Amino acid sequence: MKVAIIDYGMGNVASVDKAVSYLGYESIITNNPNEINSSNYIILPGVGAFAQGMDNLTKLGLVDLLTNEVIVNKKPFLGICLGMQLIATKGHELKLTNGLGWVEGEVIKINEPDKSIPHLGWNEITVTNDSFIKDFNQKDFYFIHSYHFNVTNREDIAATVNYGNSYVAAIQKENIFASQFHPEKSQLSGLSLIKSFLNFYA
Amino acid sequence: MLKTRIIPILTFNGFALVKTKQFDNPRMVGNPVQSARVYNSRAVDELMFIDIFATKQNRKINLKIVKDVIKECFMPVGIGGGVNTLDDINDLLHVGADKVIIKQVAFSNPNFITAAANFFGSQCICISIDVKKKNNEYFILNENGVNFKMIDFIKIVQDLGVGEIILNNVDCDGVMNGFDINLYNIASLIASVPIVYVGGGGNLDHYEELFTKTNCNAVGSASIFHFTQYTPSDIKNRLYKIGKPVRI
Repeated sequence: MKVAIIDYGMGNVASVDKAVSYLGYESIITNNPNEINSSNYIILPGVGAFAQGMDNLTKLGLVDLLTNEVIVNKKPFLGICLGMQLIATKGHELKLTNGLGWVEGEVIKINEPDKSIPHLGWNEITVTNDSFIKDFNQKDFYFIHSYHFNVTNREDIAATVNYGNSYVAAIQKENIFASQFHPEKSQLSGLSLIKSFLNFYA
Repeated sequence: MLKTRIIPILTFNGFALVKTKQFDNPRMVGNPVQSARVYNSRAVDELMFIDIFATKQNRKINLKIVKDVIKECFMPVGIGGGVNTLDDINDLLHVGADKVIIKQVAFSNPNFITAAANFFGSQCICISIDVKKKNNEYFILNENGVNFKMIDFIKIVQDLGVGEIILNNVDCDGVMNGFDINLYNIASLIASVPIVYVGGGGNLDHYEELFTKTNCNAVGSASIFHFTQYTPSDIKNRLYKIGKPVRI
């Protein structure tokens, strides 16, 4: 079982690779179409701005390729942080940009006048669906983001996090799972969540 | 609810971990990779690893050692030391750093902050601000002779795009006599980004005082972990007792 970790010049692929390897899975950091096609899972990590992320995916010719693998071929997909946000319909960071459009919703700035932005640190999630993630209800995960994914359809939301208001912490839609927090940086809870994802979609 | 962060800080001289007192008298306190392994096994909230001599000695932090430190860590890691180009940041993020800590470049080339934040996102650009009290006011300590008042400087770097401030009272560094409560409260009034407060923690009462008398949410410490029996968990257990949200 091979995991393709998408390298598109947006941050922390090394940490995701380390976590997946630690769990005993074969992984490859890649943007090569053949390697992505032949993998069993796709992980899209990412740190940075929405527009830049889409720009990089487009330049590497990965938008159609990933959409085909995830939406048509139903390959299990894990999006992390920016990798979760990019699957939205649109993003508003720096400029209005179309996303991959796999999950309906828009990525907008967190508006909490009384709180410091970014939402940075460990926060517990509240699980709202009945999937593998329910074992992680009220567990702490590491968040670092200034924008959030305003998901249109409630049934796509897997977990929320409270920071003044309630924000989407995780999304699950068929073969797509995505987290706003960083499981690869969330110690044992995070490693265990990645393992559950890989097992669930095995 | 967002949890209080207790962050061990590893300060490095290029060869070994060192701990200073009031930014002077660096004393050797061990090996960075071993320390990172121990802190990972203790499931700390976050770790910072800073080469405090890199800028002065006109070099970069050793990427091989950074890589070995990060390899031990399944929690967020901030790295600093001699960072003054976008390539430096890229190199550190590439080996797995989550945040990059800048300092001197903020004085020599302030626009670098904006360039870095636009390219990599504010969330990974941290600034270390060293503060010294003079005639009852707080000023920034730096080697460029710029006499910024702390409150002005915080506003400037926030506008330029930093995502987090590591605030250090030089007079409290390594002294373990307690935190400067007043300094934190002044800074937090104007800071819109998170502050990691550093300098002065020597026993659990100091942390209780800081978290009771301020709205502090994150603290960075070194001496208490090097020179006493206390661990980050001991601090968190104490904070839990006074009703602060902690990750235990």
